[in-house]
Amino acid sequence: MIKSSICEQIGIEYPIFQGGMARISDGALAAAVSEAGGLGIVSAASGDVNQVSEQLDIAKKLTSKPFGVNVMLRGENIDALAKLIADKKPAVVTTGAGNPEKYMDMWKAAGIKVIPVAASASFAKIFERAGADAVVAEGCESGGHVGELTTMALVPQVCDAVSIPVIAAGGIADGRGAAAAFMLGAEGIQVGTRFLVATECSINQNYKDKVLKASDTSTIVTGKRLGHPVRSLKSPFSREYAKIEYTSISNEDLEQFAVGSLAAAVNGDDKHGCFLAGQISGLINKEQTSAEIIKEIMEQAEELLKGGAKWVR
Amino acid sequence: MTTEERIIKVIASHLEMEESEITEATTFEDLGVDSLDAVEIMMELEDEFGVEVKAEEAGKSVKELADYLNAKLG
Repeated sequence: MIKSSICEQIGIEYPIFQGGMARISDGALAAAVSEAGGLGIVSAASGDVNQVSEQLDIAKKLTSKPFGVNVMLRGENIDALAKLIADKKPAVVTTGAGNPEKYMDMWKAAGIKVIPVAASASFAKIFERAGADAVVAEGCESGGHVGELTTMALVPQVCDAVSIPVIAAGGIADGRGAAAAFMLGAEGIQVGTRFLVATECSINQNYKDKVLKASDTSTIVTGKRLGHPVRSLKSPFSREYAKIEYTSISNEDLEQFAVGSLAAAVNGDDKHGCFLAGQISGLINKEQTSAEIIKEIMEQAEELLKGGAKWVR
Repeated sequence: MTTEERIIKVIASHLEMEESEITEATTFEDLGVDSLDAVEIMMELEDEFGVEVKAEEAGKSVKELADYLNAKLG
């Protein structure tokens, strides 16, 4: 069985986080992952305090095991969301889009572990100094918001930069990716795309079918012009966005073009949906329960790590 | 050297530019510095000045950075 310091730190069985996916990771999915021994994470990306509060309550009702919440540190409601998180006391908060320093004392006083997503070694150092308990190093293979560095290059450099545990994310969907992440120095992994097809994931079946059908070349990055590049499955929406992104269209119109595209994807709208998914989608070809997914990843990783000596002569 | 000159030296060295290409009014945006570069420059400024520099408080231009650092240095 694979154990790392992150398991003891948070009180989870397996060192595997389910990525906080905007509009997708709800209380039911997070609870299913936590029940299966991983760390389920509720997304607070909607920015809607009541909605997030409700989902955290649902998770709490469905599992007595630790779960987390993911929050983007921008938007109007961020102070209210941060306060809600301190009140609800999930075991972990993962943060994106900035430095959580402002809320660090409040969250830590509530007994919450703070684990920011770091896009570079320097950011990881700053988060460590601000008091982070661990960092997620997410490479650009991931779905959703992406940086420039690949997981392969980012993870070992972040591991060298900090002494807190590093969770590898981006492009990990099976035991091979997990084993590789541990070899790069990570103490845990975060998986998003594979949980899109978990039976407990509530997105429209059409979205799941697109992930199941995807190949290695099925994703595209758009939105770099506006400073927020996003990886999604190629679709009528994303192809059209890519086509107009570098035309004379104004920033405002470009931004307007994408409004509602995530909601459309979750509802299975072929034409208008922006179906966020990672490069590893091509590897994912069956729907399973969260428990089956976690078990399969961890068992395969364990077998591979045990067999690693075969390369040494 | 003034605070402004020391800042310009650090930025020019990081970006492999001539110090003469950067003035007090120059901003990170003018130089095409992204958030990843900015954070690295802030850490180099910390080494140079021996104080903690917070990217979100430090300002955008050389002049603003200098005011921020001077206030910290007392």
